[in-house]
Amino acid sequence: MENLSKEILRLTGVTKDFYPVPPLSKALAFNFKPGKPTRALDDVSFSLENGKILGILGPNGAGKTTLLKILSGIVLPDKGTVTLKGMSFHSDGDRIRSLIGLSAYQEKSFYWRLTGRQNLEFFGALYGLNRKSLLKRLDELFAIFGVTYAEKRFDTYSAGMKQTISIIRALIHDPEVILLDEPTKSLDYSSSLKLMTFLKDDLCKKNGKTILISTHQMNEAFESADKFIFIDLGKVVASGTVPELRQSIKKENASLGEIFIALTSHSKSDTKCGTGS
Amino acid sequence: MIHKAVAFIKKDFLIESSYKFAFVTRFLGVIITILGYFFIDRLFGSKMTPHLEAFGVTYFPYVLLSNAFFGYVGVGLSSFSQRISNEQVDGTLEAVLVTPTKITTMLVSMTLWNLIMATIDIAVYVAAGIFIFGIDFSNCNILSAMVIFLITILSFSGLGILSASFIIVFKRGNPIGWLIGGLEGLIGGVYFPITVLPGWLQLISYCFPITYAIRAIELAVYKGYGLDRLSFEIGMLIMLSIIILPLSFISFSRALRKARIEGTLSQY
Repeated sequence: MENLSKEILRLTGVTKDFYPVPPLSKALAFNFKPGKPTRALDDVSFSLENGKILGILGPNGAGKTTLLKILSGIVLPDKGTVTLKGMSFHSDGDRIRSLIGLSAYQEKSFYWRLTGRQNLEFFGALYGLNRKSLLKRLDELFAIFGVTYAEKRFDTYSAGMKQTISIIRALIHDPEVILLDEPTKSLDYSSSLKLMTFLKDDLCKKNGKTILISTHQMNEAFESADKFIFIDLGKVVASGTVPELRQSIKKENASLGEIFIALTSHSKSDTKCGTGS
Repeated sequence: MIHKAVAFIKKDFLIESSYKFAFVTRFLGVIITILGYFFIDRLFGSKMTPHLEAFGVTYFPYVLLSNAFFGYVGVGLSSFSQRISNEQVDGTLEAVLVTPTKITTMLVSMTLWNLIMATIDIAVYVAAGIFIFGIDFSNCNILSAMVIFLITILSFSGLGILSASFIIVFKRGNPIGWLIGGLEGLIGGVYFPITVLPGWLQLISYCFPITYAIRAIELAVYKGYGLDRLSFEIGMLIMLSIIILPLSFISFSRALRKARIEGTLSQY
């Protein structure tokens, strides 16, 4: 497939606050004034071309998962816009959802009393796949990921098996944009390697898919992603390719881990390099 | 939409049938409920009381039908909130909502399994009524009964979707479920005709759709009333549906939007 680079995803000024649940004493006193919000994302902007992998890096609680939730439409931003192929969730929600595949919080988002196959057949149907193409697609994906346990109940799976089924669900409808939250967290080394190779070579290079990966695995991110954004305390503290990021911390040959530590030790500066696009 | 609805039914069937004991004993519960009313009826001598003259039956046939019907109504009333709550607790609500599935499709599809089971329940009530207790359903006006079923489900579904909106926002504590499920059973003619109630309580009962629904179904089944003779009750139920259904869909969309803004969709 010819892979012409074209902007597919754009976030502009995305800001998200979460308000704490008021204590019971306040509610009983009919004091419904919201408490002080926690800013999960602060004026986040970046864009991404098709056929690229973006690594989203940041410490725990930085806002990575909130960002993926906003990108998948589960959470709405307070300010700012998200557009996919020029469409927004406000006007083209269903169209955008059919273009996105999300793998996150893998364990709790499946029906545990169903088998892996039954779960995937259900979600495949919700993505509008007819039975014939759904079964064909499942066979393809099971072969790619070496899934031999699809007929067993989900509650008997190991964490790695659950994660694999979650990734297959994200890919089942052949989406253009794939959002992966810690995709290799529970996978063994060889499965992680296989997954990252598949994402980079098959999905991105051959098929022009766009992938956003939120991860703590620096080596694997370094190997796979074309560019990175570093988030800390809800802000994008840096974005760009590895050479651009090295330049931003003025350390040639710095590893991604070193860049991570330099940039996320609680954002002394609002370092920006490149556009992230 | 049909494709997705079938997927929901299949998924719910697979989950429910995986609890084999509960699946089998469910219908035993129906028989036990019927037996309870049967013996209450025997206690009072199975006499036709003035309160039941309008329906032309004794207490047992009256309460058997009203209970079966109330169970059906309960599907419309509680299924939406119960299903939404289950999906929240299971963590699958977000996974469903990231798919390109319209809210109306999702809501309707989620409750179809409950509707199928409630239909089987009502069949068990009727079969037990005929074959075990010898109740005579020969006067039943089937067309009227079907129309009343359909309209009742529609109007109660509106209330059920309103309940689900509360669940989406507040997670627990559902005033509509409590008000309608609890109070309606008491004053809507489910366990006894409303003429037993004091005048002021009868007046209040006319504010609840179940009062019209129970009266209409009893008259259609036992007195064979056609649609023309039930036009007042059916008209009231249609009017309630027209008001409540659009309101419920708007409120559910808003509740979902609020949960998406607050990031609380998966919380329970």
